[in-house]
Amino acid sequence: MNKSWKSYKTGAFFDELITDAGSPRLAARRAVNMLQSLSKGEMAARRAAAETAIHEMGISFTIYSEGKNIDRAWPFDIIPRIIPGKDWAKVSLGLAQRTRALNCFIDDIYNQQKILKDGIVPAETVLESGNYKPQCAGISPRYGAWAHVCGTDLVRDKDGKFYVLEDNLRVPSGVSYMLENREITKRVLPELFENYSIQPVDDYPSHLYRTLASLSPRERRRPCIVVLTPGIYNSAYFEHSYLAREMGAELVEGSDLFVDDNDCLYMHTVDGPERVDVVYRRIDDDFLDPEVFREDSVLGVPGIMRAWKAGNVAIANAPGAGVADDKVVYAFVPAMIRYYLNEKPLINSVKTYLCMNEKDRDYVLNNLDKLVVKPANESGGYGLMVGPHATKAKRAQFAKLIEKDPRNYIAQPTLSLSTAPTYIEDSVEPRHLDLRPFILSGKETWVTPGGLTRVAMTKGSLVVNSSQGGGSKDTWIVEGSK
Amino acid sequence: MRLLSRVAERLYWMARYMERAEDTARLTHAYTHLVMDIPEGTDLGWDSLVNILEGEAVFEQRYRAYNEQNVLSFLIADEDHPGSIRQTIQAARENVRTTRDVLPEEIWEHVNELYLYTQECAEKSVGRRNRHHFLEQVIARCQIISGLAITTMCRDNTFRFMALGHMVERADMTTRILDVGAGALLEEGRHNPTVDPLIWGALLKSVSAMSTYKRQVGPLTEGASVVEFLLKEATLPRSVAFCLNSIRAEIGKLQNPKPALGKLERARRRLARFDPESATPAELHKFIDRTQLDITDLHDSISASWFLPTEQ
Repeated sequence: MNKSWKSYKTGAFFDELITDAGSPRLAARRAVNMLQSLSKGEMAARRAAAETAIHEMGISFTIYSEGKNIDRAWPFDIIPRIIPGKDWAKVSLGLAQRTRALNCFIDDIYNQQKILKDGIVPAETVLESGNYKPQCAGISPRYGAWAHVCGTDLVRDKDGKFYVLEDNLRVPSGVSYMLENREITKRVLPELFENYSIQPVDDYPSHLYRTLASLSPRERRRPCIVVLTPGIYNSAYFEHSYLAREMGAELVEGSDLFVDDNDCLYMHTVDGPERVDVVYRRIDDDFLDPEVFREDSVLGVPGIMRAWKAGNVAIANAPGAGVADDKVVYAFVPAMIRYYLNEKPLINSVKTYLCMNEKDRDYVLNNLDKLVVKPANESGGYGLMVGPHATKAKRAQFAKLIEKDPRNYIAQPTLSLSTAPTYIEDSVEPRHLDLRPFILSGKETWVTPGGLTRVAMTKGSLVVNSSQGGGSKDTWIVEGSK
Repeated sequence: MRLLSRVAERLYWMARYMERAEDTARLTHAYTHLVMDIPEGTDLGWDSLVNILEGEAVFEQRYRAYNEQNVLSFLIADEDHPGSIRQTIQAARENVRTTRDVLPEEIWEHVNELYLYTQECAEKSVGRRNRHHFLEQVIARCQIISGLAITTMCRDNTFRFMALGHMVERADMTTRILDVGAGALLEEGRHNPTVDPLIWGALLKSVSAMSTYKRQVGPLTEGASVVEFLLKEATLPRSVAFCLNSIRAEIGKLQNPKPALGKLERARRRLARFDPESATPAELHKFIDRTQLDITDLHDSISASWFLPTEQ
């Protein structure tokens, strides 16, 4: 046995593959045994093979640094994360339920606003949020679906239970890496697959295609679907291009599209204008339409909101869907599930303190060293403070920020994120991770089996974002783990 | 298959840049060999290489003298000269990077490799020692990429706009190559029986047409027959006639071809009327200028008919 596994210590956290007693979990046993049988040299060779594959497949992401865009190779750890199918089935149901409730909520907010009138959610938290777009009021997209592609971040606490950390309803990214991670693992550790029945992930693009096609305002066998990208310098351009290619859709930029006097959306092709039915947009609301949102946007399409309101084109995710993608609104999701669906939430949320409430705020200010403080509207791990790891000065700085703008801050207890064996230099060490499954909502709801596992590659770190040095793992949902 | 106007434009430019890089390498290669062959005292200057590529303005901002080192540095490695081999390859790569989703994967890989190669080697290939190998590499790698396109791509609009880019650029470059000969004749103002065959031979070699010429026309490389061959031989893939015919065939398969076809026919008529046998060097030079303008008009028409309207 490779001795780098012998010294593996799980510590005070839930470990995905190894029990507290130090033996592999049932579902992971065969994989761990196989990995343990590899010598140091072989492990290094597999990692080198993965790096070559990533380079050859051109899997990269862009980070912004010192005013320059740098294309970086995708950071990948070769040891997969393994989750038993029966555990996942419950999570999957919980995610579908949650997304249904979120879509009901968004549809309600832009129409009757019953939930506000009934006092379940305080009206000002919603209507004063920057994510609430009054321009979207009165619209009812097909199937009541607003957040067609939802990326929900999950973590596993000490108790081994999954908790929802946040819902990303605007333009969640990462799904192409989920697909590529599986592809790489198949290439570099093919033996691992021999004794497992692993739920496939590579049908995601066809599910996405079906979801988008179900939104088409025109009944056609093959509706015209486009992926709208801000362009080559966007950090997720690789993914935009990947999904367009996999769906056989056109990858377009704002300047490729125009809206005519009849409020229909077209793209410029060499054969003349062609009508577009569905736009899978990967640009933020604010840049979508200079007629309605930011006037200075050159990324968007003037008039696209007119076309959408007239029902001549579907936009996924629908403009305004971000109203439920707010860390304050997050605190009310369990209440929404009861309110709209009359069901008990099947998946846990994290206890959330809203700094806008005086009682909560006092608690937060007195317990900054125990809590994670997050701005309500940022994503990508920017602007957050992990209390137990923060310096005194940083805590003082956040106390000031909270007092200045309480609406914009929430706090949560510091969760003990689960760990998994991760190959660091030439040994195997525990690293913290999270999980982002993707939930598709159109005519039907569909949840990816697993999702994108992100790993904090720095020892002890809880920040998993790739823009901040995070890595990723292939995620397996395995059947019949006996 | 539908094709976005923006993507069509990028494919067209990718092909033009690839062709420009290859043809610049060919011309530079042939010219530097020629210079070595020509007897001392004959005034075949390095400036004409810059002139025919219309680089004088940029060149004179950057360098003082038209000597070998400066001119080759300008044409091969100069990062501030958009027409240098290094910069044209970079421009081609940028266009492929944003159209990868419609191209075979290997095309991107090879263009990217060529880019990495020119980035690494251009600078040190300016001198005579490495220059030969570098230029041959550029030509061969460009050929691999063209070959990949020809043998793996469907003959749809994606392929069509690449073919158009290649042919428009190649027609233009062939006229420029001929202009080297016309320029030499003009400067001398007289017939030079020792030097002339060397010049015309070098021009034929630059388009890989020397042996074909010898088989089809004969062993003597004389001005008028070389001009005739490179302008009008419809079976020679680098002749102006061949390029114009190919463009006509591709344009004919697109929607709304009339405006571009009009421009094309004008160029073809001018070519048909021109008689190399009776033309003086000055007339040849003038004809070449007019033909280059025809090609520019044709490009403008292609752009207006099928590419993205710049502002509505």
